[in-house]
Amino acid sequence: MTGSSAAEIPHVKVTLDNGLDVIVHEDRHCPIVAVNLWYHVGSKNERPGRTGFAHLFEHLMFEGSAHHPDGYFRPLQEAGAALNGSTSTDRTNYWEVVPRGALERALWMESDRMGHLLPALTQEKLDNQRDVVLNERRQRYENQPYGMVSLVLDEAHFPPDHPYHWPVIGSVEDLHAADLDHVREFFATYYHPANASLAVAGDVGVDEAVNLARAYFGAIPAGGAPAPVVAPAVDPRERAASLLLTDRVELPRLYLTWTSPALYAEDDAELDLASEILGGGKSSRLYRALLHDRQWATDVSVHQYSQELCGMFSVIATAAPGRRLDDLDRVIADELARLAADGPSDDELRRARNRLEADFAARRESLGGFGGRSDLLNNYNVMAGRPDYLAEDLARYAGATPESIAAAVGRRLDPATRIALSVVPAGAADRALLGATPVEAS
Amino acid sequence: MTAVDRSRLPPVTSSAPATFPAVRRVVGAGGLHIWTVPHRRTELVTLALLIPAGAAADPSGCAGLAGFTADLLDDGTRARNGIELHEALGRLGARFGGDVSSDATVLSVSALPRHAGDVLALLLEVATEPRFDGADVDRVRALRLNRIAQLRHAAGVVADRAWRRVLYGEHPYGHSALGETGTLGPLGGDDVRAFHAAHYRLDRATLIIAGDDAALEAAVQRAGGGGTVGRAPLPLPDPPADPAPPSVRLTFIPREGAVQSEIRVGHLGIARSADDFHAVRVMDMVLGGQFTSRLNMNLREARGYTYGVRSTFDARRGRGPFDVATAVDAAVTADAVRETIDELRAIRDARPITGEELAIAKPALTLGFPRAFETSGQVARGALRLALFDLPDDEYTKFVPRVEAVDAAAATAAARRRLDPDALAVVVVGPPEVRASLGGLGLGEPVEATPDGAVAVRP
Repeated sequence: MTGSSAAEIPHVKVTLDNGLDVIVHEDRHCPIVAVNLWYHVGSKNERPGRTGFAHLFEHLMFEGSAHHPDGYFRPLQEAGAALNGSTSTDRTNYWEVVPRGALERALWMESDRMGHLLPALTQEKLDNQRDVVLNERRQRYENQPYGMVSLVLDEAHFPPDHPYHWPVIGSVEDLHAADLDHVREFFATYYHPANASLAVAGDVGVDEAVNLARAYFGAIPAGGAPAPVVAPAVDPRERAASLLLTDRVELPRLYLTWTSPALYAEDDAELDLASEILGGGKSSRLYRALLHDRQWATDVSVHQYSQELCGMFSVIATAAPGRRLDDLDRVIADELARLAADGPSDDELRRARNRLEADFAARRESLGGFGGRSDLLNNYNVMAGRPDYLAEDLARYAGATPESIAAAVGRRLDPATRIALSVVPAGAADRALLGATPVEAS
Repeated sequence: MTAVDRSRLPPVTSSAPATFPAVRRVVGAGGLHIWTVPHRRTELVTLALLIPAGAAADPSGCAGLAGFTADLLDDGTRARNGIELHEALGRLGARFGGDVSSDATVLSVSALPRHAGDVLALLLEVATEPRFDGADVDRVRALRLNRIAQLRHAAGVVADRAWRRVLYGEHPYGHSALGETGTLGPLGGDDVRAFHAAHYRLDRATLIIAGDDAALEAAVQRAGGGGTVGRAPLPLPDPPADPAPPSVRLTFIPREGAVQSEIRVGHLGIARSADDFHAVRVMDMVLGGQFTSRLNMNLREARGYTYGVRSTFDARRGRGPFDVATAVDAAVTADAVRETIDELRAIRDARPITGEELAIAKPALTLGFPRAFETSGQVARGALRLALFDLPDDEYTKFVPRVEAVDAAAATAAARRRLDPDALAVVVVGPPEVRASLGGLGLGEPVEATPDGAVAVRP
């Protein structure tokens, strides 16, 4: 990639005395400001028996704080804001995009729930949001075709004491067990300035934004740094498996998955490029092999999903009527072996780079929301340790070569370390990979 | 450092008013209307070609043809096959997308500004010189038929499909762009070529380009554009007439073992040209159009029935649907329908819209307005709406004052005019055991349907 100045997001970072990182990006093009706040806590910080808690807690953050004990949506929506939050395995984020004149209100509210959440907390709110989250679980996982796959794969790849073993949404049983003491303990451990990163981006001057951040957040006590999460060592050879899940679906689907490099680790960018070369669009290798030349599949996609502790690489393909997943598996294995042996052509690599470059540009188009500039700055600050990591991030892709991609594919996508999951309709076990072991989704 | 006053929320001060960029118009080769929209950020240029024919233009008995045609465009042109075409797009870092709604087909592509001219040329090549090779026609049809089969198992999609059929039947809005197994299956290359010849005409299309000045100039030049022109009326087809009212009020589609019920409640809504469009927008914000709406605060925040509920007036060239859509814990299916209907009744009569509610709903629209035109994609979509609905260039400038002019009386009048609780139709996709509970809703006994069967429970 070019690494030109167009790829920079100009910003200033200041760390307040209480440890809160404040990152400001000034852009006067549109009379709006994005406020984006990351807490470095996700489901990986949970314990077995208390799963789903980081996400349930995120819901409670919208239900009120000491000085505004009612819901958070009303004062922000009446100010013209868009707002939301999300929880992943690694972090929880909250954001507002507000008209310029509502910036102080957004900062007031974010700081009030960071500093003063608990006095507004009630059993009634917890019970209500537990019901909402149980419905979220039903809607997004239990009642969706192939919806339970990610839960099965996480359990298969990671042993019970590994922080990625359980899903972000949590187990039904654990959600029912969550109580107010858990909420208080969780808040005290993770929700404080030294474990957070605030980005303010848009129609505001750097000095003004820093001063406002200091005024609203500066008096919140620092809190102690949470203990880092350490994942137990996992030998992927021991976990390798071929599993079979029966679901309410029309067509069998094959998931081939590997644990893969963590975010920004060695081979992470190479596997991003490999996923584009294998599955990005209609000229990609697997699309051509499975949908165009053979017409054995109805869709194929490839992902390098990199997270803080490790990533997961997946190849997902759905069988056309009459096709067995073993047929698809052979084609995919051949294509992976070919990429590992010969690497991509120069033109393939160029196309993959150009598309990823345009994806980065698309993310930088908006100031706020999920994936906008404010979110990107926080992502770099929390995950790479510095907000100005963008140029280096892009340089990873510019530095990849056909040889480095071939080597990464060969090293990381070893058939002996993969977990294959066949998902088939009831009564169609004969279309799954031969010898797959039935599992139940919980 | 002075202490923060936490006794009250900071007031919201006025911000600079948002403006929509001035649209410039030129005519390109083949009589193509080109609208350029200068955008202040320069990360990407967005090009969108508006073909004023969507799923509603499917000939009778050929549901799915518009979508099928659009899907085939990027499988090869006269000059290059599908693989070569996608390789060319890839070298430009461009992703091509085709979106077929009821009223229109929009082919769009966004790319780095330095590629604007080359991307423009590819977009026009795809739109006007498709190959429609026989092997591709067969392959893509099979993919789309498989997609239809797959979606029989997605409860929300099943509910949407049934809802369209209940509300519109054989009306042009009664099917999605995907069509049905029975209508898509027989379609062949001749049908696709005929649809393309009839509708993909440059002299009836509008090309929107949103980006920085250099990108706009490069793209216009490649399109053979010249000579600034005024706004000519676009040759848009007439909107479809209103459908007859549904004959069945309550449709139930059993889904064995489902833990939730997908629910749709509503009736015919408004066209984009409705004289009370802005009053309806405000009223709908109070009813179910945002998080703090009555429906969401009741069904989600008070009762915990659902992860979320939303109402929508889908304003199209003709009258689109009004519906309330949600997925609820199966155990409370009938209660959720009842609460929904009660809210629709109450906002007309027992609990009309208050000034306090307007104090949230209106600023959410007016103060939130600048967010709508931040990216080149948003700006392009804004211009697309002007073209598709034949709205004047100052439509967006007038949006804020028009919303501000909606008072409680006007909002309640919109509720009384546009909501009819006695004419509601309901679709439920849920586990078989909830069926019995639906009989007590006052909508008659549920009429049962299957996910892919004839839901056309109307004349």
